[in-house]
Parts: sequence; C-alpha cells; structure tokens
Amino acid sequence: MQQKISSFIGRRRNWSIPYVLFLGFFVVVPMLLIAYYAFTNDEGNFTLANIRKFWVHPEAMNTFIYSVVVALITTVLCILIGYPAAYILSKMEARKARLLVILFILPMWVNFLIRTLATVALFDFLKLPLGEGALIFGMVYNFLPFMIYPIYNILQKTDQNLIEAAQDLGANPRQVFLKTVLPLSVPGIMSGVIMVFMPVISTFAIAELLTINNIKLFGTTLQENIYNGTWNYGAALSLLMLLMIGLTALLNRDGNSKAAEEGGLI
Amino acid sequence: MRKHWSTRFLNILTACLFAGLLVLAVGSCKQSDESRKKVLKIYNWADYIDEDLLTEFPKWYKEQTGEDVKIVYQVFDMPEVMYTKVAMGKEDFDLACPTQYLIEKMLKNDLLLPLDKNFDKTTNYLGAISPFLRERMDAFSVPGKKAEDYTVPYMWGTSGILYNTDKITKEEVQSWACLWNPKNKGKILMKDHYWDVYNMAATYGFYDEITSGKRTRYAVSNDHTDADIAMVEQQLKALRPNLAGWEADFGKEMMTKGEVWMNYAWSGDAVWAIDEAKTVGVNLDYVVPQEGSNIWFDGWVIPKYAGNVKAASYFLNYLCQSDIALRNMDISGYCSAVATPEIIEAQSDSTLTETVNLSYFFGPGNGALKINGIQYPDSSVVERCVLLHDFLDQNDKVLEMWSRVKGNNVN
Amino acid sequence: MIRRLLSSSYLGILLLMLYAPILIIIVFSFTEAKVLGNWTGFSFKLYTSIFRGGVHHSLTGALWNTLIIGLVAAFGSTILGTMAAIGIHNLQPRAQKAVKMVNTIPILNPDIITAISLFLLFISLGISQGYATVILAHITFCTPYVVLSVLPRLRRMNTNLYEAALDLGATPFLAVRKILLPELRPGMISGFILAFTLSIDDFVVTLFTIGNEGLETLSTYIYADARRGGLTPELRPLSAIIFVVVLILLLIINQRAAKRKL
Repeated sequence: MQQKISSFIGRRRNWSIPYVLFLGFFVVVPMLLIAYYAFTNDEGNFTLANIRKFWVHPEAMNTFIYSVVVALITTVLCILIGYPAAYILSKMEARKARLLVILFILPMWVNFLIRTLATVALFDFLKLPLGEGALIFGMVYNFLPFMIYPIYNILQKTDQNLIEAAQDLGANPRQVFLKTVLPLSVPGIMSGVIMVFMPVISTFAIAELLTINNIKLFGTTLQENIYNGTWNYGAALSLLMLLMIGLTALLNRDGNSKAAEEGGLI
Repeated sequence: MRKHWSTRFLNILTACLFAGLLVLAVGSCKQSDESRKKVLKIYNWADYIDEDLLTEFPKWYKEQTGEDVKIVYQVFDMPEVMYTKVAMGKEDFDLACPTQYLIEKMLKNDLLLPLDKNFDKTTNYLGAISPFLRERMDAFSVPGKKAEDYTVPYMWGTSGILYNTDKITKEEVQSWACLWNPKNKGKILMKDHYWDVYNMAATYGFYDEITSGKRTRYAVSNDHTDADIAMVEQQLKALRPNLAGWEADFGKEMMTKGEVWMNYAWSGDAVWAIDEAKTVGVNLDYVVPQEGSNIWFDGWVIPKYAGNVKAASYFLNYLCQSDIALRNMDISGYCSAVATPEIIEAQSDSTLTETVNLSYFFGPGNGALKINGIQYPDSSVVERCVLLHDFLDQNDKVLEMWSRVKGNNVN
Repeated sequence: MIRRLLSSSYLGILLLMLYAPILIIIVFSFTEAKVLGNWTGFSFKLYTSIFRGGVHHSLTGALWNTLIIGLVAAFGSTILGTMAAIGIHNLQPRAQKAVKMVNTIPILNPDIITAISLFLLFISLGISQGYATVILAHITFCTPYVVLSVLPRLRRMNTNLYEAALDLGATPFLAVRKILLPELRPGMISGFILAFTLSIDDFVVTLFTIGNEGLETLSTYIYADARRGGLTPELRPLSAIIFVVVLILLLIINQRAAKRKL
C-alpha cells in the first residue's frame, strides 16, 4: 500500500491533480454559474434574450471594440517602452538589475485608487487636460511593469552561445539583435501581452478618473450592469467577451504553438 | 549548510499558515440560532455614524432588555453592492442604510422586514422623525406594507448645484439653464447617477407644464412615460457637449480645486465642499434652482434575511434620540431626520443673518430660525422639491436611455 | 560610453515618470488638506492621526488584514502553483493544453466577473464568508500567475538531473527538494512577489467575498471612504511610510547580498 502511494506521488504528473481539482471547483463551476445567469431571465427561465440584446443594441459592442483599441494601443506602447528598458536591464550587472526591476514593480504596492488620483493631481499640476491622452498614460503607467518583468527575465536567460554564434557568423550588432535576440524573446513579449491586454479592457477606475467618465471602457459596462440589477445581461456580456478573447487566443496559439509553449511569465 | 533566506522565510510562513488555518477553521463555523440573537450586524456607509455609539449601544440594550448584544459593523462603498449582496446572496445583515430609491425597490421586491416596534418599557423615540419625511415616505407604501413600518429615515437633504461664487453669479444659478449655457462649457460636472439626473432634466424640460398647471411637479418627476423618457434623452444629449464629464464621487473634490465651476451635488456633500474649499481660498455656495429638484433621504431598513430583528429595531429606536442624532450629524456632516427642539437649539447659529422657515420640518412656530440654509432648506425650497420614485417597469428603458446619453465613445 | 549614458538616462526618465505620482502623494502627505492636490500649509497632523479610527472601521486594522491576506494568499498560490507547474509539465500534451487554457481564465476574466462568480459559488454552498473565502478567492486569481512563472523554468531545466538523483537512490521527495526546487526558486520568488502585489491591490474580488462580519482590507476601506468623504487623507502618509519602509528594506537586502558576494 505504501509502495502504491509512494509511486503515485512519485509520478510527477499526478502533482497536477490538486490544482486541476482546485481549478474545477473555483474556476469552472463559478463560470458555469455565470453561464446560468447569462442564459436565464429574471424569473429563472431559459432564454437567449440576453445574447440577442447584445447584438441588437450596439452600445455594448461599440464600447467593447473601443476598449479593445485602447488595449491594443496600451499594449503596443508598453512593448515599445518596456522592451528597451528590459533590454538595458538585462545587460546590467545581475544584482543591480534585480534591484531596478523591483523598483519598477514597487509603485504597484501603493493602492490603485490613490495612485490613480495622484496621476490626476499630476496632470492638474502640469496643466495637462484629462481625456484620452491621460487614459493611455494611466494605462501604460499601471501595466508597464507587467510588460518589463517577463521580457527582462527571458532576455536574461537568452543563451549567450547563440549570440556569440551569430557574431562569429559575421552578423553586426543590429543583425544580432533583430535576427537572434528579438525572436528568442518573443515568448516573454507574449507573456507580457497576456498580462496587459485583457486587464486593460476590464479596468474601469482608470477611465472613470482620468477621463471624468467621458470614455467608457467595457469594464464599466459590466460593473454598471451588475450594480443596476441587470445581472443576466452582465453575465451574458462577460461570457461573450470571454468567448471572443478565447477564440482569438486559440487561433493565435495554433499559429505559434511552439513559441507559446516555450513562453511563460518568467 | 546555510539555508537560503527564502527557505527560512518559507519555514516561518508555513508556521503562520498553519496557525492561520486553525483560526480560519474555527472562525468559519456558522453561528447557532441562539448566538445569532446576540449579534447585531450593521451595514452602513463609511463615516456615517459615530462609532463610539457602537460600543455604547450594547450597554443601553442591556439596561433596557437585560440581553447581551455584540455589534458587527461593515461598510459598503455603494448601496448597490448592498442590494446585490442581499438580493443575490441572501446576506443576513440586520440593518442597512440605503438611499430611498433603493428602499422602495427593496420594499417592492419583498426584500425587507418590518420593524418590531414592541419596545416593552423602553420609550419609543421613533416619533421624533419629522412628520414631513414620514408623510412623503408614505408614497412608497405597498398594499399591506406601510413604508413607515419598514424604514426609519436617517439623514436627508436636497439635490442642487454647487457652484463657484467667484465665477458664477447667484442669479445665473437660479435656473438649471445655466448648465446648458455654452458659456460654461467644460466647466460643469454632472453626477453619474441616473436617478437624480433624470429628475433634473425632466423638471427643467417640462417646467412649462408645471407652471401652467398641466402636470404637478410630482407627476413630471415620477410618471416615467415613454414620452417623458424621450424628452429627458433629448435634454441630456444637448447637455452632454457642455460638460467636463460625469463624476460619481470626486466632483466635490474637483470643485474645491477650482477646476470646474458647477457641480450637481447633494446638500450634505455641498456643506463638506464649501468648508474644504474655504481652507484653500476657493468660495463655493449651493443652491436649489427655481424649476425644482428632489429631496433624498438615507434610511435604515431591516433586510429580509436578518437574524436579529429585535436588536435592530431597538438600535433604530436608540438612534432617534436627540443627543444621539446630534452626534451622528456631527460626525457625518449631514442633516438628521430627527426633528426635536434639542436639535434646533444645537444647530442654531446666532451669527447667521438670514433666517430659514422650518415649520414644515420642526413643527409650527419655527418660521424664522437661524440655521444653515443648505442643510435645512427653507420651506420655499422644499416646496419645489419632490421625493423620487423607483422607475419600476420602466427601469430597463431608462437605463438604455442613460446608456445612449452617456455614449459609447463612438457616438 | 555614450550608450551607457543614454541607457541610464532612459531608465532614469522612465523611473521618474513612474514615481512622479508617488512623489506627489509623499509631498501632499505633509499637509492637512482633505483633497489630494490642495495645499493648506505644512503639517504633520495626518501622520499622527493614522492610528485613530474606531474599533470597527480603522485604517490600521484594514492594513493588517491586507498584509495577512496578501502573505497567506501569496504563499498558498506559490505552493499550489509550483506543484501544479511540476504536474502540468509532465502531463500528456493534450491534457496539458486543456489545463493551461483553464489556467488562463482567471487572468483573462474581468475581476468583477471573478468576484461575482466566486460570490455565487460561496452562497450556493452556504459557506459563511470571511477571511477564508477572501484568501481562497485571492489564491484563485493569483495561482495562474505563479504557474506561468514556474512553468518556463521547468521547460529549460535539465531533466536528467532529476532522473540521476532518483537513480542514485533518492526518494522522489528528496530529489524534488534538492534538485527541482532550487532550480525553480527564482520562478517561485517572482511568482510570490507577483501574487502578493496582486492580492494587496485587489478590490472587487475582495468586496464580494468579504462577508458581513466586519472584515475590511485596505482597498475596501479606501473605496468605502472615497464614496462619502473623499479619499481618506491619512492614506497619503500611510502610503508614504509603507513605500519608504519597503524601499529601505530593499536597499538593505541588496547591500547584504552584495557583501555576501564579496
């Protein structure tokens, strides 16, 4: 008996069982409950009206598309700003670099609301107008560390031999970077994208405060629906959103599955 | 071999984790019925009650009934969260303090329990609530359920315009039209709250019907017909380009900075803002425009799944005493629903030059009191204010209209 | 030479932009004004009034809860996530793909949906909400990040080392402790820090799993206060203190690590 238990635990793939159960219980079942609300109406009868409402009324769709655009811009900016920073960090002495990376994360430990209000105060101080520019700034401000972190880590792990081999084969520094380092760091970029793109769509406080509610992101739509009592519609919206993102992610994965497997957060 | 610091850290954490889990296991057990009767769960706004009362009440309760009670106090940020938790989650709060529109919604949806007014030998202070509010509140009553049995008003006030006196004249603000005036473009903040804003637009848009007598103010605000909704939508869409934005809570703060000149505000917030603005040299004032506005109140209710109705009722009784009400007014900065001579005395300010007619609130003989006119509006102001009803069946339509007005970034 | 200057200034400017709002918070912690951005003269009053607040609704109580919940949740997710990563790494490809997909759901889901879904779960099971439910909820949305931190380390690891240890007579446990975990440690630490950061800042999920026994975290306290009387002024000195303390700790740890290297 003890042998059996020992070999069961020894099989490393069985270590995933606790988490699979956990996921089933705390992620899958709750999502099924949400799905229940999405497909029922006030009285509890099955209905597709909530889904239909989404297609018939363009407001939620427009808000969603706009949010996706904001998320795209934010993600691209985070990559453009974060990649050079991560690159510089990866070239520094490890100890110093680690300290600086933590310094990039440290602002996240100040509460979100006061951080955002301080950003508003900053804009007031600099006499800059609130609005779309402020929104993008606020988003990049909040999510840049989540882009820098994975890119830094993967750049750090890049096999020096590959770089040296490229140099030996006659590549100049620019070619070394473009043809060797950059492609190898793509998994890190992908991790960053996962951690930035979706949360941007779902965040509402930043849009509320930095645009004085003139711009509405999808997260606000969801929150409104839940708080105003139209839970069924809110649940339907969130399911649809998850479906759309899930489909795009699925298609992407099939496209570069190897890279995605190599990839990861850190 | 020296342990890596992370290993040591993990060891310490393991110990803490086990200790914590033990505490959790004990703490998560559901209470028995008996022990539940010894607890009073209160769900309230933040900074809305004198917290010393929470320790004093159990002593008072013991004196009055001989029973022990422990108060568990939770704060919410929005009453909608409270509504979601009670309606969706059947949470067993004994007392909650929503705004009156939610009270009506809860009453209609059978989510409230009546007070237990059998106070034995304890004096019943509930009558101290101003008859003015009690009468208005009766409009919420459902057949078989009188509103007065289900809620006790706590704080009340009006809605109006908070404005910067250096930039906007008092004459201009006497009409809601100043919000639509293009000369104020980009300097106006509107509340992101469809209840109040609907009323403002309806009152302003249908003012000719009110003055000609075609419809009463009450009807204009509470009919919610499709035609009304369409008119409100038209008005609000015309308003939107003039606004700096919509705010949910930081409007009064932005006013104190002088960045915006007008804000739709509630009277309690206005008092706060005027005081705070003075400290930085900005001068604000508050007015309820001539066309009319609304009165609001926050009221205590006993949600359906409450476990201790008796202690809850006693607590509400306790709150209606004059000295207790005064303490709560002090801490919250809002205006209490309690109307007794002691309140008049405490709130009167002999340095004020203007007097306010408050006979409607405190009873006859109080026609010229020296009290802050923003907190305690003059009878002429109150005459042009109504108490707002829930949108009921039209709620979805109003929400859709609201969504169209706020826009979806594309149009 | 120039490149070094450019690199340093790039990082410097970036850090300056990131810390500008923090600087504003620190500067305005030295004034009594209720509104962030108003200056009413130099004053230490807010620093002394941090510790006021009743038994029922206190800033320090909320802070304490936040730290405990954060540490326990981060710790829990790190353990669960590491075990999960080891397990997932050794699954068949199809099962692996499926588990990874479900793993990403909490990351992709808007937090209000995670909040409501867990709320519905807990009420339908009749679990009374409080510390336990909040920590479980936090572990739910933090563990996927830990899994994503540790998994790549596993991919890059040389599996032969583990097999060699087993061949040499080590029990699976010993092999894991001595071979696997040290390799994964950097990923675990990163995951831990990430989980902690996410947990202390969370609002909506906490709001809907916090129950009705008076539990408060920093986020719920702040948001509740913000709705009524504006953002709690005492938050500014509190944030400043936390920030400075953590910064100093970091520098100390860094110095000690440097000394050890020498």
